[in-house]
Formats: sequence, C-alpha cells, structure tokens
Amino acid sequence: MEERPCAILLKFPGTNCDAETARALEEVGFVTETLPVSALKPEKLVGVSLVVLSGGFSYGDYVMSGRIASLVTEQKIGKTLGDFRDNGGYILGICNGFQILTQLDLLPSGSLVENASGRFQCQWVTLKNLAPTSPFLTHLPAEFEFPIAHAEGRLVTKDAAEAAGYLSGGAAALTYRDEVNGSFERIAGLQDESGRVFGLMPHPERFLHRQDHYDPDWKGTGEDETRGSGYYFFRSLHESITKSN
Amino acid sequence: MSDSPTLSILDQIAEAPADHYRVLKISDLDGDRLLELSKFMKLSLSREDMLAIQEIYRGWEREPTDVELEVIAQTWSEHCKHRIFGATITHEIDGATETVDSLFKTYIRDVSQRIFDKKPGFVLSAFHDNAGFITLDDNLAVCLKAETHNHPSAIEPYAGANTGLGGVIRDILGAGKGAKPIGSLDVFCFGAPDTTMDHIKAEDVIHPLGVMRGVVRGVRDYGNRMGIPTISGAIQFDDSYIYNPLVFCGTAGVIPIKDINKKVEAGMKVISVGGRTGRDGLHGATFSSAALDTESHESDQQAVQIGNPIEEKKAADFVLAARDKGLIGFITDCGAGGYSSAAGEMLEECGGVIDLDQVKLKEPGLVSWEVFISESQERMVLAVNESALPELRKLADLYETELTELGTADGSGILKVTHHGNTVCQLDCSKLHDAPVRKLKARWEKKTGPVDAPVLTKLGEVLKGLFTDFAIVSREPIIREYDHEVQGNTVLKPLAGAPGDAPQDASVLRISGSKRLMSMSVAILPEWGKTDPYAMGAACVDECVRQLVASGADPDRLAILDNFCMGNPDAEEELGALVETVKGIAAAAEAYGAPFVSGKDSFYNYFETEDGPVSIPVTILISGMGIIEDAKHVTGASLRRSDSLLAIIGHTQSALGGSVFARRHDLANAEVPATSLDEAFKCYRQYYEAVKEGLILSAHDVSEGGLAVTLAEAAFSGKGGLEIDLCSLPMDDDASKAAMLFGESPSRLVIEVAPENLERVAKLFEGLPFAALGRSTPGHSNLVVEWGKETLINESLTDLKSLWKNGLAQYY
Repeated sequence: MEERPCAILLKFPGTNCDAETARALEEVGFVTETLPVSALKPEKLVGVSLVVLSGGFSYGDYVMSGRIASLVTEQKIGKTLGDFRDNGGYILGICNGFQILTQLDLLPSGSLVENASGRFQCQWVTLKNLAPTSPFLTHLPAEFEFPIAHAEGRLVTKDAAEAAGYLSGGAAALTYRDEVNGSFERIAGLQDESGRVFGLMPHPERFLHRQDHYDPDWKGTGEDETRGSGYYFFRSLHESITKSN
Repeated sequence: MSDSPTLSILDQIAEAPADHYRVLKISDLDGDRLLELSKFMKLSLSREDMLAIQEIYRGWEREPTDVELEVIAQTWSEHCKHRIFGATITHEIDGATETVDSLFKTYIRDVSQRIFDKKPGFVLSAFHDNAGFITLDDNLAVCLKAETHNHPSAIEPYAGANTGLGGVIRDILGAGKGAKPIGSLDVFCFGAPDTTMDHIKAEDVIHPLGVMRGVVRGVRDYGNRMGIPTISGAIQFDDSYIYNPLVFCGTAGVIPIKDINKKVEAGMKVISVGGRTGRDGLHGATFSSAALDTESHESDQQAVQIGNPIEEKKAADFVLAARDKGLIGFITDCGAGGYSSAAGEMLEECGGVIDLDQVKLKEPGLVSWEVFISESQERMVLAVNESALPELRKLADLYETELTELGTADGSGILKVTHHGNTVCQLDCSKLHDAPVRKLKARWEKKTGPVDAPVLTKLGEVLKGLFTDFAIVSREPIIREYDHEVQGNTVLKPLAGAPGDAPQDASVLRISGSKRLMSMSVAILPEWGKTDPYAMGAACVDECVRQLVASGADPDRLAILDNFCMGNPDAEEELGALVETVKGIAAAAEAYGAPFVSGKDSFYNYFETEDGPVSIPVTILISGMGIIEDAKHVTGASLRRSDSLLAIIGHTQSALGGSVFARRHDLANAEVPATSLDEAFKCYRQYYEAVKEGLILSAHDVSEGGLAVTLAEAAFSGKGGLEIDLCSLPMDDDASKAAMLFGESPSRLVIEVAPENLERVAKLFEGLPFAALGRSTPGHSNLVVEWGKETLINESLTDLKSLWKNGLAQYY
C-alpha cells in the first residue's frame, strides 16, 4: 500500500486558512495534522515530511506581521525547523505563513510590509513561474493565476540590488506579472537554497477547482479540466516528496 | 436628608447592605419618580414599565436590588424584547382603521408558520434560537442572521462596525450547539460622500465619509481576522442617513443537523469562554433603545466597545472543537445585556445559580450589576455536563482561550446571582415574560400619483449620469478590502466576469461536506418606502428572492430575514410606514413560500438637529439564503459569449417612482411599481427549469438604474458588445421611453442563452412575460439599444464602465 506522507499544519491564535489548506493537502494525498502552537514540541516533527504555516493573522499581526508567531515558535522549538529542513524536510508558508518564515530567517532576508496602496487587497493575480524545477512548481505552467488577500505583502529587501540578486540567483520563484503591491522586483514568492523551504503571498489552496476561478469560462491549465492551478501546486509538492522518500 | 437636592434619586432611595449592590425602595414612588429613576439609571424603561415592575415587587412583598432592575431593564428592552413589534397598533390607512395585534405574530410568525406547514422538514428552527436553520442535505443545515449596529457606528464608526460584525458572528457560534461561520454580508446606509459641511446641522456629527471609511475598516478588520469571507453587501446613500447611519452585519453558518437542538438540564455547569469582563459596553441594549443627540457623542462612549477578533477566533476554534467532541449541552453568545441575558436565556426554564465572584475581570472594583450586564466582547456562555469539564479545560488550554466556571443549573426555576457572599438577584424569570403591551397609533395615506415622465432627447447622457450615481457605482474599492475568498469556498464572487471586476447579484458558497451549495443575497430599497412602503416591502422580498433564484437556487428552498430600521415609532406617520412595509414583505413572503427564519429591528434612528428632529426613512433589509442543488446550476450575472442571445423575463411598468432616474429628475411622488407576486413566482419556477436543463449562460436582475444599466453591467465582463431592440418588450401600453430604459419595475431578469436554445427557453415561458431582446456581438464594444428604427442609446461600454468604476473610488 502506498505510504501517504505526513504534513503538519501549525496553527497560531489567529491562523485561519488551516482548514482549506489541510483539505488541499489531503486531496493530493497527504495525511495532515493541524497542531495548535500550544502543543508544539520538537518531537512533533518526527516522521513528518512537510510543515505548513497557513494564512491568517497570527496573534492579530498588530505588531509586524508574523513577528510574534516567529518568537513563539523559536521559544517552543528553538532552531528545530532549520534542522528539519537540513534533514530533508519541506516547509511551506502561505501568506501569513510566508511572513512568519521571513521572520524565522528560513528564507532569503527580506520583509513583507504594507502594500504600496495602503489597503488590504483581495484580488486575482497572474504569476510568473521563474523556478519550474522547484518541487512546488513542477506541474505549473510559465504563467498562471492565484488569488491574493493581504494588507502586508510588499516584499522589501535591504536595497534594490539584493532583490535583483534574488531574481538572477533563483531565490525569487514567483513574481507578479503586473504591478500589484509594490514588491521589489514584483516578487510574490521566495525559496531557500535547498529549494525545500517556500513562501508565497498568493493562496493556492483557494484555487483547487476550475469553478473557483472568477470567470466561468476560464480555459484551465494542466491535464484535468476540472482542476484549478492550486491543485497542481500541491500535487507538485506531493510528487516531489514521495519521489525523494 | 432624603429631600436634599444634591442627592440623586438613586441615592435617596437606596439602601446598601454591602458596597457592591443596593436595595432600591421603589414601592412608595409615584410614576414621575419612577420615570426619573429609570432615566437616572439609563434603564430606558417607560413609566408604564416601571409601574408594572413596582406592581410585581408589591406582589412579592419586597424591594428590588439594583441588579434585578438592570436585569429586568435588559429583558424588557426594545433590543431584546421587540416591544414595538409586539404592540397593539391602531392603524389608519387611507381613511380606514385597522387594529394590528402584534406585527410580529400577525405578519412574520404566522405567515412563516403557514409556509413551514407546507414544506415539512425544510425549516429546522426559526425565531427562538440565535439564528434560523434550513435543511441543506441529509446531514447538514445552514443558517443566517443579520443584526444592526447603528448607534455605536454613529458615535464610533470603526469600533461600532467592528463589534457589530463580531457580535453577529457570535450569534452563529451560539446557534444550535455551535454553527461554523462561513460567510458574511454587510449593508450600509450613509449620507453621500460629497456632503458639504454646512449641510450638517448638528455639532459632533461625523462626516459621512468618515463614517464610511471607519465602518468599512471595522468590518474588514473583524471579518478578515476571523477568516470569514465577506461575500455580499450593498450601500445606500441618502441625506437622511447623515445623522443616523445604518450598519447591518450578517453571517451565515453551517451545522450538522444532529447538533441543532440544545437543552439545559439540572446539574449542568454554566461556563464562560473567551474574553474577560470590564466596564466597557455598559448599557448597550438600553442605549440602542433611545434616540441620539449631540450629547450622545460625548456621554455614550461607554456603551461602545473595542473588538478583539483574535480573542473571538480562539473562542470559535474552541467551540467548534468542543461541539465535534459532543461536549456542549447548550450554548449562547454574550451580546446585549451580557451575562444577564445569556444566563437569563439559558436558565429561564431550568433556573440556577451564577456566582459573580468567579467572573474573570479586566479591571478590579466592578459592582455586581456592572459585572452582570457588561457587554464586554468575545464571550460565549455554555452549559455542559460536569463530567465534560476536564476535557473542555484541555481544549481551552490547547486553543489558548480562558474558561471560567460561573455556576450551576439547578432545576429550581429561579435565577439566583451571588456576589461576595450576598444574593444580589433572585428572580423567577417566568414571571417576567409579560412586559406591558404597548398601545400605539399609526397612519398612512397614499402619497403617489400620476407624474408626467420628462421628454428626453439625449438618452445616452442620461445613462452616463446614472453610472455616476452613488446608488449605482461600483463598490469595488470596498469589496477588495474584504477577504471574500478565505475558506476557499466562494464559487460565485461579489466581483465577476472575465476581468474579475464586473457586478454580481447573489454570491454562492460551496459547503464542505455537501454536494449542495448555498446562495446569499440582500435587497434594500429605502427610496421606494418614502412614498410607498408597502411596495417597498414587496419589492425587497422580490429582489432578494430573484437574485437567489438567478444564481441557481431552487425557488422552493429559500428562506429570508427581515431587518427593520426606523426613526420615531411614536410618530404616527412613521409607524404607519412601518406597518405598511411589514404588510408588503409578508404578502411577498407568503406568495413566494419564502419564510422568515430570523429578524431584528432597530428603532429611534432619529436625531435632534438645529432644524428639528431628522428621522431616517423606514428601511427594510431583506437578506436571504437559498439552496443550490448542484454546482452545475450556479449562474453568474456576467455576459459570457459574443455570439449569444439576450432575453428578458418579466413585465415593464410605466411607473417610475423610487427609481434612481426619478431621483435625478425630481419626479417626487411618482407612482411606485407594484409587484405581481403570483406571476413573478411562476416566472422564477420556469427560470429554474431552464437552469436545470442547462439553458442559461448568465442572468442579471434588473434593479437600480433599470434595464439599460442592467444590460451594460452584464456586458462589463468585456466579452462583447450588445445589440438590443426593445420593440417586443413586454410592457404597459403607456410606458414611456424613460420607463422602458430606466424604470425599476420588479421581477425582471435579463438572461443570456445560446442561439440554439432560445426556442426551448421561450417555450418554457409561454403565457408569461418574456421576450427576446437582441444579441451579443464581437463586432464592437458598444451598448446599442434600438426601438424599431430609432436608436435610443449607442454608448461605448468602456466609457460607461470607467464611469461606474470610478464613481466611489475617488472617495474611498
């Protein structure tokens, strides 16, 4: 019988996309456990292939987004997530999860700050796939759409050169095709050097089905017409993990 | 000493057995003094109410404590007891007199009951719980609840709207044994954003722009943080809302059918979960039962609270986990009246003891009544078996929320409250149900009559004008501030079409664990009610139902909510407008078989300005939910193809009253269109047949702005231009061009069908008002409307859309 890889979804007070993210992971073949951070211990990561930080507003994000969640995580398990990655584990941060990962120094340095518009923005965006060999993006075409919903998604780096370096060096896995939130180099998603840590502002878990698209006549991508691009994001990840095991 | 002018009435009559509560000697006071006491304590109880309370205590041969008086004031408040909807009203209509013995019983409950009887098993719970439930499938039920938070939003827009949404979300969490919130709606009525300051005739009133921005951000910051998509809404702008803005917040939920019924049993423990209790939010229930004035902006700040959505999110995670483990016996939210109404509701039959010493406080030094009636946010009250407590405590730790044991249900039938070793309240709640029935007078006289439609030459310019009107412009800048896709189930979104920015009618949610879907929509037409409240009531139900059906819902599986707001119920003509509105919604609900499952009302939305009192017009929000049988039936409002045909369902009347066109052309008192209920519902059933046969590509309801605006809006999807001919439009013989293009007759839908299907669709509508209107085309991107050989309109859709998109954007 096929062994289903195990994913843990870390849930902070204010995390609110964990249910649909778990649903997405299960649909492509993961076993999932949603773990409130109060119960987080280093040994919880034993036997786990993937740790997911889902979207939401951890602790309200009243301070800098993701800041308190990163401090609580470090207090609970120290540098365990880094060891987990070094031992072959995968880590995914979506939206608030991406913000937390940048605070935990698990991704190339940068901060996700208030959108240039000064607004919360809920809309669909077209993304450019700059890392087609990334374990998260193998089944996705060169351009595809995901929805975004964030107030603090503008990626800024210490200077323009650093962001340009992410683009040329491969850390910038996803960029917005159009100007969206003022991100340097229009960066929408980052990966680390191992390729196993991935953070993105858009929400793949909201686009599992063709019917999730705003246009009922959307033509679809991939081999199965009923699926949305988000499905292929998670399926890429599942395939990479089962191949590497 | 008792007559010293420096002592308040409270100090004159109080005895203090301890420093945290007082016994009030009311048995010897006359009506004037009782009313003075009510005002001093901010109880919002009338002279008759106070005399009735005095009589009850005379029967018990004792004096009340301050805690008891506060509890009774909460129980009898308009906010909790709906005294005006229960009143006996003598109503004069066009000279004839009728007596209404309770608007609620006559027009809401009895009408709905007759529908329940005709549709067994559809409505699972109505009126008595926090929200009404309807059957989704064999295992799941869905519910919807809407509330207003008008007074707090007038005084402190951000916090008022913030806690307004937070409160209605708790209603859903406290519905049944805890429903999961899955989608929210928000509807606002504001003064126009371009109101000039010299137009505002009172001090300290917040400019409509400030109100709008604060309210939107308040809704945004609560809904987004809770992870509940805000999917449906509307905004009305009118001068009469400058002083009293209206903020309606609603939330839908889903629950396993087995968890709908809840019961408190003797021996159960009463626990509180979530936030702590403080002095914030004292007298919210009684404050909302009185009018606003300039002083309110200074003195009533205490009644408005600050929301903490993360506290509520933690409590919500706890409640849903506890429900799934079967640990909840009974649950309700802490809303108006705080613990006193939550515990009162929970223990009114069973009785029990609440120990205020157990309550976790935000600050020390609260006296008994403050602890018991504080409306501090983010608290839920549960009754649970004692054996479940250890596991509940573990869950509370897991989700980092505070659980407090407040007391025990004991089967005595008495609500007993203790504090610092004293019994500060001991009430037999069964004796408090009968607040005095109010007797009110109402009257209404027909205000409308024939008005000559203006002779128009530049119809295209009129259409452009409509697309700049605040009643019609796109709400996109606001919609994008709300996360309308969290939970990943928003199939039909508030913005749609190929570019994702075209208008939508109803919104549709997929329900996890079911093949069926839920549609949600809202309808509000206050302009109609200014001259014809009955027509407004019927048309609001019609529009709500029509939007649900247009989106693919089964017309025989709909339920609606009524949320009323009005000014002064003691003004006969204002109350008369209310009575007529209620009659209108009742007639439509009954004809459509769409029962009311929940409702709420808000009175005293008037303001003492320099020029005298300003009341809002009687305003009814009808919000509704419908069941969609299959994902294939979901139908959007945007044009999908450039080779399709367009048709209209429904009859166009000559009446222009209530329309945006009439407002812009000063056609005051023009006849308002009536709703032909039976014919309309036949059309909706036939439309549903067409949906089930897969014949409908898209459907957009004809509402504000009339047919021309509807056609253009559908084509804002950018799929093609439109070529329309109105020569076969089903209409009154005397309908003017203005009525054809811009009239807002109800019950009409513009549908898009593939050319090969038109014949079949037309056959479905035989004997009903239906006509082919024209076609979409890839040849140009204009809206072309002809009438025989005459071109009425030929305008660029790009230009119209740009007017529509920028109308509100420049102010938000």
